[in-house]
Amino acid sequence: MESSENGRESNEGISVKEENILNFLDSVDGYLILMDSLSSTLRQGWLELASARHSMGASRINSTLFDLKLHPASTTLQVNDQSAAPDRELPHFTLCKWASSNNPEKYFEEAKFGEDELLKKSNSLRHRDISHNSEIQARSPESVGSPVTVDDQAEKERYKSLSMFGTLVSPKLRASQLSFETALEMLVEVSNMRASLLCAHDQVQKDMETATK
Amino acid sequence: MTFNIHGGYLEAIVRGYRSGLLTASDYNNLCQCETLEDIKMHLSATEYGPYLQNEPSPLHTTTIVEKCTLKLVDEYKHMLTQATEPLSTFLEYITYGHMIDNVVLIVTGTLHERDVQELLEKCHPLGMFDSIATLAVAQNMRELYRLVLVDTPLAPYFSECITSEDLDDMNIEIMRNTLYKAYLEDFYRFCQKLGGATAEIMSDILAFEADRRAVNITINSIGTELTRDDCRKLYSNFGLLYPYGHEELAVCEDIDQVRSVMEKYPPYQSIFSKLSYGESQMLDKAFYEEEVKRLCLAFEQQFHYGVFFAYMRLREQEIRNMMWISECVAQNQKSRVHDSVVFIF
Repeated sequence: MESSENGRESNEGISVKEENILNFLDSVDGYLILMDSLSSTLRQGWLELASARHSMGASRINSTLFDLKLHPASTTLQVNDQSAAPDRELPHFTLCKWASSNNPEKYFEEAKFGEDELLKKSNSLRHRDISHNSEIQARSPESVGSPVTVDDQAEKERYKSLSMFGTLVSPKLRASQLSFETALEMLVEVSNMRASLLCAHDQVQKDMETATK
Repeated sequence: MTFNIHGGYLEAIVRGYRSGLLTASDYNNLCQCETLEDIKMHLSATEYGPYLQNEPSPLHTTTIVEKCTLKLVDEYKHMLTQATEPLSTFLEYITYGHMIDNVVLIVTGTLHERDVQELLEKCHPLGMFDSIATLAVAQNMRELYRLVLVDTPLAPYFSECITSEDLDDMNIEIMRNTLYKAYLEDFYRFCQKLGGATAEIMSDILAFEADRRAVNITINSIGTELTRDDCRKLYSNFGLLYPYGHEELAVCEDIDQVRSVMEKYPPYQSIFSKLSYGESQMLDKAFYEEEVKRLCLAFEQQFHYGVFFAYMRLREQEIRNMMWISECVAQNQKSRVHDSVVFIF
């Protein structure tokens, strides 16, 4: 009787360890997919910027037009305090996009990606369980790689930030802005994913140390 | 009959310059380059060779564009110093567009608290004039005109945009487009006065330029604060689209509405037929291809000034091509190189 109970506990222990290893591998998988997406989004953004410069002319798109006047940041990064609730699975970093200092209500958007978009990048990888990773939620973007739907205020902030290049700018410049905005969201997601990955790695290490004792 | 007395030598010179434009095989070689050093090596066998040979590594895309532009400037200055009236005035007209761009660059950069010296380095050499640095002290358009531009060839174009309003991003944009509109109309009238083959060829090229500007202003203003009336005021008062096409363009709210307006005009049907619905990315290339066709046709006739304008514009297109190829090579995106390269021959 005791031996069967011990056997059951041992089996449960092994399945928990296997689950931790799977969590870790899942995190690595998610991290690598995100890094690949980030790289391709940045490449797209840079090429679109070159295309905008080709279309509008080098005198209209160049670094000497950057505005050096002091102005509030249109996007900020919020670092969540993990010490308050260490047991909860919360994102460590959150992006506050297109927050205007003139508007007392900040536009709070979490940088999240639909899992389908990430999986499009690598069909050969195993499908990950959505319920397991609560940080990734499905959304319906307007197009592949574009940010979530924003209201008019955010659109105004977008145009305002591009106005240093002029008020009538090419659609290519706006596309470039969207690509870099998407890349910024991805960066935050990469940071959160890295935090999960390190947490899963620590868990696996602990399990290995326990097993060797 | 008497054209060759004053213009024959320079027409021969510009036709000689034209034969130095890069060919399709040059572009094929450039598109296969792996690095900017390879591009420099291929260009060393062309007329750009002497301008790039002393540039140290690592090369930047902006360096390639600057040196190629220097070649164009040297050729232009050679022609201008040899020209007599009215060809000298015609050649000066070609640079007024760059002058407007430089004025707007200095004013915008000053508004953004940039150093004047830094801005001057980014100005196009063909658009430089003596008092350009003084633009930085102006607070509004009235001062801009009174302190600096009154003594420049752009002075007559300022009558429509002199206000005491402070310079901000929207006013600067309206100023840019108003100046360019006035310049195009003035250039058009000047060519009409010259008459003959110059008037015939330049009318066609400038009308196309005016129509293209109208389309670009319309597309770029979609979703902005620019009102329909303000938009209409920025269109030139000539061209195939004037006046009914302008009325329809001013009320367009997306690219598909612009397409439905433009497809009513046969010369522009072929341009928009190359684009899929809702897409505007390839519109620039389609317009550039049409422009190059018209510019090359200018060389089919003799004894007119249109060849000078056509040559300058073809060189600028060549420089744009090299800029794009350099960017694709530098960013390791060679698969996209044919997105924006327009072959001239």
